[in-house]
Amino acid sequence: MAMKIGNEKFKDNVNKQMEDTFMRGAVAGAQERLRTRRLDAAEELGNWEEWRSHGEEIRQHTLDHLDYYLQELSENLQKRGGHVFFAATAEEANDYVKGIVKEKRAKKILKAKSMVTEEIGLNAVLEQEGCDVIETDLGEYILQLDDHDPPSHIVTPALHKNKEQIKDVFAEKLEYKQTSEPEELALHAREKLRQEFLQADIGITGCNFAIAESGSVGLVTNEGNAGMVSDLPDTQICVMGMERIVPTFEEFEVLVGLLTRSAVGQKLTSYITALTGPRTAGEVDGPSEFHLVIVDNGRSGILGTEFQSVLQCIRCAACINVCPVYRHIGGHSYNSIYPGPIGAVLTPLLGGYDDFKELPYASTLCAACTDACPVKIPLHQLLHRHRQVIVEKEGRAPISEKMAMKAFGIGASSNPLYAAGSKVASSVMKPFTKDETISKGPGPLKAWTEIRDFPAPNKERFRDWFKQHQKESGKA
Amino acid sequence: MKVTLFATCIVDMFQSDVGIATVEVLERLGCEIVFPAQQVCCGQPAYNSGYVEDAKKAMKKMIAAFEDAEVIVTPSGSCATMFKDYQHVFQDDPDWRSRAERLAEKTYELTEFIVDVLKIEDVGAKLEGIATYHPSCHMTRLLGVKDAPMKLLSHVEGLEMQPLPNAQNCCGFGGTFSVKMGNISEQMVDEKVDSVTETKASYLIGADGGCLMNIGGRMQRRGKPVKVMHIAEVLNSR
Amino acid sequence: MIQNREAFLANVASRLSRTKVLTERPERNWNYRPQDKTLTDKTQDELVDILRDQCRLIHTELIETDSAALPNVLAEAVAAYGGGPLAIWQDPRYEAFGLREKLQSWPKQGIDVHEWNPSIGYDNISIVEKSNIGITFSDITLAESGTVVLFSGEGKGRTVSLLPNKYIALIPKSTIVPRMTQAAQQISKQVQEGKSIASCINFITGPSNSADIEMNLVVGVHGPVKAAYIVIDDK
Repeated sequence: MAMKIGNEKFKDNVNKQMEDTFMRGAVAGAQERLRTRRLDAAEELGNWEEWRSHGEEIRQHTLDHLDYYLQELSENLQKRGGHVFFAATAEEANDYVKGIVKEKRAKKILKAKSMVTEEIGLNAVLEQEGCDVIETDLGEYILQLDDHDPPSHIVTPALHKNKEQIKDVFAEKLEYKQTSEPEELALHAREKLRQEFLQADIGITGCNFAIAESGSVGLVTNEGNAGMVSDLPDTQICVMGMERIVPTFEEFEVLVGLLTRSAVGQKLTSYITALTGPRTAGEVDGPSEFHLVIVDNGRSGILGTEFQSVLQCIRCAACINVCPVYRHIGGHSYNSIYPGPIGAVLTPLLGGYDDFKELPYASTLCAACTDACPVKIPLHQLLHRHRQVIVEKEGRAPISEKMAMKAFGIGASSNPLYAAGSKVASSVMKPFTKDETISKGPGPLKAWTEIRDFPAPNKERFRDWFKQHQKESGKA
Repeated sequence: MKVTLFATCIVDMFQSDVGIATVEVLERLGCEIVFPAQQVCCGQPAYNSGYVEDAKKAMKKMIAAFEDAEVIVTPSGSCATMFKDYQHVFQDDPDWRSRAERLAEKTYELTEFIVDVLKIEDVGAKLEGIATYHPSCHMTRLLGVKDAPMKLLSHVEGLEMQPLPNAQNCCGFGGTFSVKMGNISEQMVDEKVDSVTETKASYLIGADGGCLMNIGGRMQRRGKPVKVMHIAEVLNSR
Repeated sequence: MIQNREAFLANVASRLSRTKVLTERPERNWNYRPQDKTLTDKTQDELVDILRDQCRLIHTELIETDSAALPNVLAEAVAAYGGGPLAIWQDPRYEAFGLREKLQSWPKQGIDVHEWNPSIGYDNISIVEKSNIGITFSDITLAESGTVVLFSGEGKGRTVSLLPNKYIALIPKSTIVPRMTQAAQQISKQVQEGKSIASCINFITGPSNSADIEMNLVVGVHGPVKAAYIVIDDK
């Protein structure tokens, strides 16, 4: 699996997903719970806006000096005995990891949840090498068991599945015989995975934030699986998107707090781990070999452009959790491992407009995403910017729409035309009007009236009433 | 106070009652209303669809039409937001940008103007019944006008306000989204209609014509007996 | 070893309109620093109150005691969690806090105690994995979030707090700071002074949990199923 998770058209996807009533119920319920938790967690701090502004300035500063901080990170990790590989493409990253796997003759590979490894399609590459690759985040584990069902959310990837469906997957793949109670399911996964942890050759994690000053990698989980993956296997590989970095532990702390509060409404999650290179002399657990793979894969193409702020993202999913469109269409509709507003901005930048040009239109520009973002990415503005690029730079808009908008430009900006158009609107629409309502409109109105009634144009335009009103009150 | 009215194209063509109510309320509060006849559409439909250059033609027209105003008032949070955004649209054009900045400084949404500028919360309106209020997205999030409508509504005699479940969620209008992504829009507006129904309100009140046209149109299609009212009409009820 | 860096960073630099990679540390002049005024006015006792409240939210039992009563309090906590086998660090603080006698008497009562022993290598992990309770000291404790911060080291195996079924953290009151800010500042200071930081710094907040199934919180997924903190008045 890479970033793109299917070949269906966006509209077909949406129609299919909207029939999944369980998914929609699960998403709506989750949105409501998470919204309250996030707002409470923000309120507790008292001055949330100040925290957001600080988060924003940290992310902007880091991006503006990204070359410096990546250099510093790699120097410091090398001093601690770690290996650093800079990968310009997904292929380079995968090849490097493959090389380590071959060198170690590794068979069993454990993974902690990581979006960037999904993006580069690492699992498939390793499986082709004959490795047993096991996801250890409970949600990812469920999806992997279910014949690699793609994630539908960047924090809770199995959000679209209910516990009955999960029970069925466990029964089929793990000979599970107990109930669908989440506690029992989780316990079963714990027992199964515990054995895997103890036998793994290589552990692979993502990276929430690397810390330049010390060459550290910060990992944030609730389950403790990242700890398992980094403590037990003898070789550890961290894969990070190149923008996921902060200058020092002080900024790390600020962003971790913003992440955990925004993602799950917790002050901190159960496990936050800062790893600095391999284990030191005398230590027993932790890896003897530590590799950091820093991935570009299209990100540098966003730097220095009007879309740079999307790289501020800390993958908390707050925008997804408030999005009224995601609420109804779910994650799989986006055809990308990055769904929701952040996905609709990021996916076309990384994957191109050919496959993803509908995504920026899957928004009402209601700005709930922008409001929720803990690092103040102007998401709705970036969605709008995409539309502008698609229309004006790429010329990909449908002809009929282009004509309509041209007409708009001429009509709306010319008083005589606007006045004439609005004046005759009432009589033009008359054949379609019944009880001052249009329920089956012509032309562009058709799409509207398929769903809702449309008011008939006023018999008297407001401007005509006003003229009369002025006369009556002796002002004109 | 001399108030220049930016009626919006929706009001001008489809909701003249809202325009009339706006004029009558403001006159009652002692304002003198001016309506520049050169006004057209603010350009938002084209702008939001990505046709920025086409939208700019309408925007320039609007800047010119309202250049002489002391204060500009509009019964739409969304259109007020668009006016305030002109300066960003023209950021690379110093002349138009500074004209747009001056426009933004004097533009107010109707309820914001009454509460924050006129400093009035009780306009002496009277309306019997139970109502719920849909806070439109651009008005609350982008313009930042959240409390003014509720302050005004709380003083309307006889009106009982019921909170709207999931009020913060968009109604699914989104301008051209409502037709471009019609199937998604339908699900969104349906949830909004269900939420309104749940409150058992007889009136759905809002401060943006586009959203009200969307929710109202869907309610009518589904045969819901809820009356949709723009807040100007509520404030003009006696 | 560092590979492919030059071309990679040259590209990043050029995207940022620089002709070569920036080599001078950039000034960090923040306009906002909300962390400086968050809980920084609290006394040590007030911080304990905050910690106590937070423990309720994170499914963690908080027990308060003093040095004198600690051995018995710990024994009760161990009994409540079903006894041994126990896994502990090789750490002089157990002795400094008067626990040596207790640790020596436990095996006689049939409660095995494994003290982390670097000389036996990986066998530590197999033993710890079969332990019922892991017991470690907290190096820094964050009141706001209810977090214990553990620095790994030769005698301080990472897995002691992670693999056993239950976890008990011993928290000297003097280790309590307002929030993660202060811990981050301590660590950053070490780095800036050129000192070597622990290869693994764990910030642990209660037992492990997951909400991956229908967003229901399940406590105890990969790490401990239960956690208790014992705060020791050590002034």
